[in-house]
Amino acid sequence: MSALLPSPATLAALVKIGLLVGGLMTAAAYLVLLERWIAAWVQDRRGPNRVGIPLTKIRLFGLGQPLADGLKIILKEDFTPRHVDRILYTTAPLVILAASLAIFAAIPFGSVLPPLGIPGLPDPVPFLVAPGLDVGVLWVFALSSIAVYGVLLGGWASNNKYGFLGGLRSSAQLVAYEIPLGLGLLGVVLAAGSLKLDAIMNAQAESGVWYALAQPLGFLVFMVASFAEAARLPFDLPEAEQELVGGYHTEYSGIKLLLFLVAEFLHMITAAFLIVIMFLGGWHLWGVTGSSQEVTWLGALARFAILTGKILAVIVFFMLVRWSWPRFRFDQLMNLAWKVMLPLGLANLVTVAAVEEFRPQLAAALGEAGGKWAAIGLPWVVFLVGWITAGILTPSGTDNTPVRTRGPLDVESDLLHHDDRRREPAGTP
Amino acid sequence: MNAGLPELTPGMLVAGAVTAAAASLWLLLPRGTESRLARWLGLVLGAAAISGFIVTGRRLGGLGEEAVFLTVSLVAVVSGAATIVTRSPVYSAIWFALALSGVAGVLLVLGAQFLGVATIVVYAGAILVMFLFVLMLAQPSGLASYDRVSNEPLLSAVAGAVLLGLLSLSIGRMSADPTCCAVPAKAAAVSDAGAAATAVAADPLAADQVARLGGELFGRHLLAVEVAGVLLLVALIGAIAVVARGEAALEDDRRFFEGGVRR
Repeated sequence: MSALLPSPATLAALVKIGLLVGGLMTAAAYLVLLERWIAAWVQDRRGPNRVGIPLTKIRLFGLGQPLADGLKIILKEDFTPRHVDRILYTTAPLVILAASLAIFAAIPFGSVLPPLGIPGLPDPVPFLVAPGLDVGVLWVFALSSIAVYGVLLGGWASNNKYGFLGGLRSSAQLVAYEIPLGLGLLGVVLAAGSLKLDAIMNAQAESGVWYALAQPLGFLVFMVASFAEAARLPFDLPEAEQELVGGYHTEYSGIKLLLFLVAEFLHMITAAFLIVIMFLGGWHLWGVTGSSQEVTWLGALARFAILTGKILAVIVFFMLVRWSWPRFRFDQLMNLAWKVMLPLGLANLVTVAAVEEFRPQLAAALGEAGGKWAAIGLPWVVFLVGWITAGILTPSGTDNTPVRTRGPLDVESDLLHHDDRRREPAGTP
Repeated sequence: MNAGLPELTPGMLVAGAVTAAAASLWLLLPRGTESRLARWLGLVLGAAAISGFIVTGRRLGGLGEEAVFLTVSLVAVVSGAATIVTRSPVYSAIWFALALSGVAGVLLVLGAQFLGVATIVVYAGAILVMFLFVLMLAQPSGLASYDRVSNEPLLSAVAGAVLLGLLSLSIGRMSADPTCCAVPAKAAAVSDAGAAATAVAADPLAADQVARLGGELFGRHLLAVEVAGVLLLVALIGAIAVVARGEAALEDDRRFFEGGVRR
């Protein structure tokens, strides 16, 4: 029965899924180690450097640490408190991990393989699980909005005030920062003319202009928004150990906690992938990789290595930021999203639309090269103007005076003391 | 499949399935008087209704495609029913999210990628999260009594069944007609965004289906898009007006109460 056997395309997809999931899980484990090393380096101490090969005295700079960490957390008691909503308490970590893994169906992790000549397989083979998906960017967006459920349900099902506060705060943050994230995406989609992430990389490789250079404002907005979506410092309010114990996963332990932590790391990896693919040229590097779809094995490997290297660099940047910046307060977080990032994102979108619309006129007026430089320079002018305007209108200074808003309780106290109040002029606090 | 029962026509099967679905929904809906037996009976009838629809439905083709389609549509139908049957509002919202994911899965299998993903982004990702917020904040402990029973379970089950029967009959008749669904290019001429989307869906892996959908939306249906945009803008301004009035309204309340005290 050849009908029951999976087709080569299905097999190829399964192989890619296996490679991707295995690679991501290993990467997540070792990135934890990297994060601890970087933390140690920033804080001027020695990080984990003891665990090497088990049962020997070989230390290997602590490279065995992820294995030990993983075993420890898996073997820990998976304790379920009695006061939780059992079904949702168990579902929440599964939802968040499944959503964060499914995102990678639409994210390319390299360029293309040279033709393999296997019948039934499209040539060349793309480094992408679902190459037929025409709405890759939207898919990523949709699944990252599903991840909110894991946080919200985990916090609610824990039936714990810290957990619930963390869940609510976190989902408010994730929902708010989806908007600047989307605006950053839209500029790139507009310029590349496609919702496919591999097409976006190809567009950058062909023109040689990475979108971080052509849309600096979009890059800034997208970067900040993806820090917030990944809940990394300075946006780690969902956990905020000092205020909320552990935030939405306060009540979790053992392997369920592990699922949450892995999902968080996957969010950071996803954010790094997206930043590199959409703004930093993906696998493209001037003078090293060509831009054509016909590659040799060496070229394919080089592109894969360049993409991975860039992603690693962005992740290291994420980790350095974590140990250099304090956490935002909740009102600062919301102000930044709605009063700074949203207008800047809109300004970027309008600029990109204008540049794309008038590109032929620019080229006609200033010549081929002049038009290209003008199309890059104009967004930089908007970037500087936008940055300065945002800096003047919403100064970054902290106002720590308590905010008084009059609520129903004030009205009640007014009623009780209305004789006293009548003597004072209106508006006195 | 039903060789042993030669007198059973597809029409009768559909009618039986619709009746079973209605009875199962009526039995399962929280009426305040339900017993364990009624619930089991409802579950069995529901399973019978679903299998009746599966037997009469059209086949998609490949085995894998069929399996995926059946899985996602089962998820959609079962969680849709669970949405209205569940007593807890939070669980209802979550079942609804699952139903939406099922619908998005069906749309993806049928090739309407944009609609499928947009369903998740708009409904499951944004609207339902807001619902959940409100539900979780509004009912921290226990359920309000009006959430424990459904109003008019019989009428709503029958109305749903009638609608389901009519839709499946008309779709069955349409798909039996060989001239109906074979011309995707011409179907796009129908002045309806849904029809345009189905036309695109008929050509699943076409490279530019999103571009075609966008062209259709911003070409033929530009007015509808603009009107929807204006509607959203009005809603936004209205929301801001309500929020901005808050302070003044409190002041008004204070004056009112002060006046009352003085009198």
